[in-house]
Amino acid sequence: MKKLVIIPAFNESESIVSTIKDIKENAPDFDHVIINDCSVDNTYQLCVDNGFNVVNLPINLGIGGAVQTGYLYAYQNGYDLAVQFDGDGQHDAKYLDVMAKELEESRAAMVIGSRFIDKQGFQSSSVRRLGIRYFSFLIKLLTGKKITDPTSGLRMCNREIIKMFADVYPKDYPEPETTVKVLRHKMLVKEIPVVMRAREGGVSSITPKKSIYYMFKVTLAIMIERVRR
Amino acid sequence: MTLKIQIIITVLVIIGLVYIIGLIRKHRLELKYALPWMGAGILVIVFACVPGFMDALSDLIGIASPVNMIFFLGFLFALVIILALTVAVSSAANGVKRLVQQLAILEKRNRELEERIKELSDEKK
Repeated sequence: MKKLVIIPAFNESESIVSTIKDIKENAPDFDHVIINDCSVDNTYQLCVDNGFNVVNLPINLGIGGAVQTGYLYAYQNGYDLAVQFDGDGQHDAKYLDVMAKELEESRAAMVIGSRFIDKQGFQSSSVRRLGIRYFSFLIKLLTGKKITDPTSGLRMCNREIIKMFADVYPKDYPEPETTVKVLRHKMLVKEIPVVMRAREGGVSSITPKKSIYYMFKVTLAIMIERVRR
Repeated sequence: MTLKIQIIITVLVIIGLVYIIGLIRKHRLELKYALPWMGAGILVIVFACVPGFMDALSDLIGIASPVNMIFFLGFLFALVIILALTVAVSSAANGVKRLVQQLAILEKRNRELEERIKELSDEKK
């Protein structure tokens, strides 16, 4: 079973080395690929100097395009399983084996690492939690399935989903929309409790100003996704 | 409609059409994207040369003044073209995205192969 960790990185020089170290120590069965999305700091140089496996995008594609590059890489290199993993130190590699086990045993197409099952660790700000609960509610309303953490960036997929995401993936704010897509295809999505940390470095792609656009765009995207055939 | 304005409109449209054909000749405009413009130009010439046509049409769809109908049709046409362009931009952006992704993956492969070749040739020495 070939397993891949996809790490999208935009200006993550403060945390990328410790992230890969974490993966190598706590999830040694997994290969990694860093997708450097035109960082303007020395993220790429750090990856090369440390001998990390890195794909260097020549123009900035945004988080969706970067993650999709990872899925395309996973598909073309015959991986059976791929997991998205943030390069900013929020995610803990010790959950990767747990997620892989869950994916295999429950025959789920996708396993999401959720912050809100055990409600431990970094819980995000109260405003963001409210937004996340709203998406959770919307997904429940449209698909009948309960997803406690639809915006989680820690998601593991089987090969079928890898192919689906390699073909089509939204440009920005992809998580809730693609979760609905998987549910719409009547495939199983499982969640396991994880503890996340506050980010070590870098900044979130969702600034307060963008959050209005974010809510609106994702709401519309989820609704349109629901009526696609 | 006076003969004067009929001539002015016809001449302007013909200049426009010649310009568009020039762009296609120099490969600065795809014929595919030029077709609606050329069609619209020819339609305008027909309207200008046969004014009875325009009066009949505005009567038919219930617009009192033929000039208003021209504005209305022109606006509608512009909207359709703009939407078609937005669709074209979307698909071009998707194409560029896929190119960039594949290029980056191949660049990585290339980098690795070069390293491997270097290692192998170092071993020989």
